[in-house]
Amino acid sequence: MINSVLRFGLIFILLILLQVLLFNNIQFSGYVNPYVYIMFILLLPMEIPSWLLLLLSFATGLIIDFFSASPGMHTFATVLAGFVRPYVLRVVSPRDGYESGADPSMFVYGFRWFLSYAILMVLIHHITLFYIEVFRFADFFRTMFRVILSTIFSVAFILLIEFYRKGR
Amino acid sequence: MRNLLNFLARYNNLIIFIFLEGIALYMLGHGNNYHNSRIVNGVRGITLGFEKRIYNTKSYLSLHDINVGLALENADLKNRLERLSKNENQGFLSVSDSTNRQQFVHTSAEVIENSINRQKNFFTINKGTQQGIKVDMAVTSDRGVAGVVVGSSTNYSVVMSVLNLDFKLSARIKSNGYFGSLSWDGRDYRYATLSEIPQHVLVNVGDTIETTGYSAIFPEGVVVGTVNDYEKYGGDFYKISILLTSDFKKLHFVDVVGNLKKTEQVDLEKLFK
Repeated sequence: MINSVLRFGLIFILLILLQVLLFNNIQFSGYVNPYVYIMFILLLPMEIPSWLLLLLSFATGLIIDFFSASPGMHTFATVLAGFVRPYVLRVVSPRDGYESGADPSMFVYGFRWFLSYAILMVLIHHITLFYIEVFRFADFFRTMFRVILSTIFSVAFILLIEFYRKGR
Repeated sequence: MRNLLNFLARYNNLIIFIFLEGIALYMLGHGNNYHNSRIVNGVRGITLGFEKRIYNTKSYLSLHDINVGLALENADLKNRLERLSKNENQGFLSVSDSTNRQQFVHTSAEVIENSINRQKNFFTINKGTQQGIKVDMAVTSDRGVAGVVVGSSTNYSVVMSVLNLDFKLSARIKSNGYFGSLSWDGRDYRYATLSEIPQHVLVNVGDTIETTGYSAIFPEGVVVGTVNDYEKYGGDFYKISILLTSDFKKLHFVDVVGNLKKTEQVDLEKLFK
């Protein structure tokens, strides 16, 4: 128990630092803004009670909001992502169902499962985030383009980090 | 009561979810006040440490460009000084009265945190109330308009960049003086849009766009950019795409401009509204 709290605490800090120090500084034409911190919500254990999942999502979003000086945007999107995670997990469930006590990671359920899980979660998070950021539907398709491009990059980075974790 | 407890137990996740999203929405709704000085002092104080580190690394890489820019600005200032000293004896004032003649005060500051990739971009500069920075002061780069101060703490200020959907500026075409409203459409960090210029006005690609000074924030005649393209928009107006002269991607040294006569102008205008 203590062990896993420590482990996820470490993942949490590393992801936040990565986001704030590296990815927030990638300013590539305004269309590509990868947000990899959402990976923390993806990796949390299967058996986590939903209220804790929601509170952790809230805390993650709030910290990212502080560091990017954006009021409530990331908080809103991340809490939503935390709320839909159980449903997403149900949608992408592997044929044999989930094993008890196993983390939702690439090591356990394979690359293809993790890819579809990550894409769905990141897409939900990014759609919410980017539309809240512009707060208008006037440039609907342009915002959609930004969502899709950023999702591709976020998922790519999340997969890279996951591969690195596997390598360790 | 029992039903209520059952209800709460059954939907507790939904309730927590709605509650947390409520907090987030509240923060979003008060987003415009977010950059007020209290929050700048509190939260930004924690994060500024990080930002300074990042900034230090970045600034080292762009020293050459900064030097070139500063040298150019220096030359320009020397030229202006030359012209001013020649003009000194013109006008009605025979005594050079420095308190009445100066309307704008300039302070230089460094940008320590900047973004261009969001829809509402802000940047942070390393001067605050202690150095005389106040909300609503204009910020210009060595090449043109950069933004408006929206909040300041003791030693830092947050500036709303031109690259912000909420940014509005009164600007005019230098050659003929017709003015319109300048805003950013959130697409490209190099271009802004000037609207409300009537279609009978002659517009040419390459025309200089400058500030009007009507708002009492920006001094008159600060360069904003040049006309890049224009198209007819609606029945009567042009929509003019402006190539901004300030390069927001390497914004580094900025000038904060305070208007000493701002309250006087604003108070007078208030009487007639």
